[in-house]
Amino acid sequence: MLSIKDLHVSVEDKPILNGLSLEVKPGEIHAIMGPNGSGKSTLAHVLSGRDGYTITSGTVQYKGLDLLDLAPEIRAREGLFLAFQYPIEIPGVNNTSFLKKALNEIRKHRGEEELDAIDFLGLIKKQMKLVEMKEDLLKRPVNQGFSGGEKKRNEILQMAVLNPTLAILDETDSGLDIDALRIVAGGVNKLRSESNAFVVITHYQRLLDYIVPDFVHVLSNGRIIRSGTKELALELEERGYDWLIEKSETSS
Amino acid sequence: MVPGTANNFRSWLREHSQLGEQSQFSLSASLRAPSLAVLETEAFPTRKAEEWRYTPLKQLLAQSIEPLTGSSIDTDLLEQLKDSLTTAYRLVFIDGQFSSEHSNKLTDDFPAGLNIQLMAELDPESRQRAEATILTSKLSDDNIFQHITRGLSRAGLFIKLDRDIEIDIPIQIVYLSSTNSGVSCSTPINVVCLEENSRLQIVEQFASLKGTQTVTLPAEYIHLKAGAGLVLYKIGLESEATDHISNTSVQVAREASFKSHQYLLGSRLTRSNMEVHFSGPGGEALLRGIYLGDNSQHLDVRTYLDHAQPHCRSDQHFRGIMSGRSRGVFNGMVLVREQAQLTDARQSNKNLLLSRDARVDTKPQLEIYADDVKCAHGATVGELDPDALFYLQTRGISKPDAALMLTRAFAAVITQEIQIDTLRSQVHNEIAQRLNQIETSHV
Ligand SMILES: Nc1ncnc2c1ncn2[C@@H]1O[C@H](COP(=O)(O)OP(=O)(O)OP(=O)(O)O)[C@@H](O)[C@H]1O
Ligand SMILES: [Mg+2]
Repeated sequence: MLSIKDLHVSVEDKPILNGLSLEVKPGEIHAIMGPNGSGKSTLAHVLSGRDGYTITSGTVQYKGLDLLDLAPEIRAREGLFLAFQYPIEIPGVNNTSFLKKALNEIRKHRGEEELDAIDFLGLIKKQMKLVEMKEDLLKRPVNQGFSGGEKKRNEILQMAVLNPTLAILDETDSGLDIDALRIVAGGVNKLRSESNAFVVITHYQRLLDYIVPDFVHVLSNGRIIRSGTKELALELEERGYDWLIEKSETSS
Repeated sequence: MVPGTANNFRSWLREHSQLGEQSQFSLSASLRAPSLAVLETEAFPTRKAEEWRYTPLKQLLAQSIEPLTGSSIDTDLLEQLKDSLTTAYRLVFIDGQFSSEHSNKLTDDFPAGLNIQLMAELDPESRQRAEATILTSKLSDDNIFQHITRGLSRAGLFIKLDRDIEIDIPIQIVYLSSTNSGVSCSTPINVVCLEENSRLQIVEQFASLKGTQTVTLPAEYIHLKAGAGLVLYKIGLESEATDHISNTSVQVAREASFKSHQYLLGSRLTRSNMEVHFSGPGGEALLRGIYLGDNSQHLDVRTYLDHAQPHCRSDQHFRGIMSGRSRGVFNGMVLVREQAQLTDARQSNKNLLLSRDARVDTKPQLEIYADDVKCAHGATVGELDPDALFYLQTRGISKPDAALMLTRAFAAVITQEIQIDTLRSQVHNEIAQRLNQIETSHV
């Protein structure tokens, strides 16, 4: 589904991703861990099409498409979803009408009929239960004045409504209390299927107790320096990153 | 004519001020005379004058003016304007002439206590009141356009509401231009007097057929007595071949309230000058507005708040959206005089530039001579937030659509304060329609 090959990315001539490769197949959950500033969010942004990054080399195939060639909205309509580490506040744009517009753009792209207000409300009510979000947040402008945790839940609500093929969750667990963490993880597990996949960026092994990954990758200095199964996350929890980073430096 | 002047607007003025029966004019000869004298002697402001630095008058002044004809009208456009208010007392001017066909009857359609007459046909008592109101009105920017209107106006209304009367149904005044040959000039003059504790809403709409060339020079003199309340909406939808320069002078007496909503969406050149003079303590002025320009439109908003009395409150919030090569100007003056203790004056001007070639000059000014006051002002000029655009795109919304959503949201902060539902949605639609055109032509 997603195939990243030897990706090099820089920002203003500063290299940030340095030969990153990753394969994600349908039905899989990949966790990406790694120290602050190692390039995790950069990877997520490059995959979703944010401006300001220069791809110096490498390729990204997504569902057989050259992902890097597509505008961000086309990527989204093709089923790619990014849950932001720092969701953006958008004053004056109503949360519900925003999400309805987003869903209908995606449906149009798939050749499906647009949902009317009533059907949409039915869908959103159902998905709100999934993330246990307060209903009044729907009537407010997108993320405006939301608490940190509310913003993260709103990201998961959007994910649940848009039902992506590939979802990238960038530190969705950061800033969540333990109940919220369980709810967010529960949401992911309910959406999980044989035909979709998740890339979960996190600093905490704790999240992986709830969302059990098939693979854990360690990103350091813009490269994956180690891949393993969920046991790797436990090991990292105990030993930190230093031993891995030292090892990769001596080996390279 | 002075030899060598190729000033067509000026020469039209010279000729035109001599024409016509006295009975056709809005004002009496004694009031017209000083203004006609100003027209004789005063030059039009050039861009050397600080107040007119940004306002391009060249095109306006180069035009020769044809007589107003009151020709056929676009009924669709009129119907659209009518639909913006479900119920209203309606008064329609077409090409500068009052249209009794499309208006309520001036004699018997209005509730008791509400007196509406044509300025040119005032009864003696009303004339005295109307002209006294004009004479006691102040305009710190005593510009020549005010005098053109005073000297030449044949159109406009005197509206007076008796004390303690509250009218919920708004008064709708429509100015429609439809002349399609040559440039016409319309100079409506309105005088509004609200007696003690009376309440009224007025909706003024300026519109024209596409391509109609008009110079519209409205002047308005408003006097709110103690405890009175006026809400004044002004919607400018004229074609981009028109010039519109308006002057509004408002006197707000003790504990009276003036609320103004301006939506300046049309014209090649718009200059709206609104001045509020507090003449008693405890008064309130709330000014809201949006100016939205595209192509080479020039939109110029001026406000002047004279806090000459203690304990008055003024609150201004204007937003500009400029695209294409358009230019916006906001010039807001708040003067707090020495005796105006406990003044609460706020002013905010925010501008959104949608293109590289668009420009805004914003000049908020505060002059404070009293010591116990609360004043705040701020102005910003910016572009659409790229993070917000990207966020919307990652949810499947195209960049033009995302830009449209964000721009509409920027405007909605102001439009949501329109208290009349149907009018609010009409203004929303007008703004959305213009933004749609902007997005499709530039992205
Ligand atoms: N626009 C930018 N300009 C300059 N440097 C940038 C820019 N964006 C990212 N970087 C740098 O790239 C590196 C990787 O940043 P990134 O946000 O991807 O890290 P991260 O792994 O997500 O970190 P964290 O765990 O703290 O979220 C950092 O050193 C960061 O400062
Ligand atoms: Mg990050």
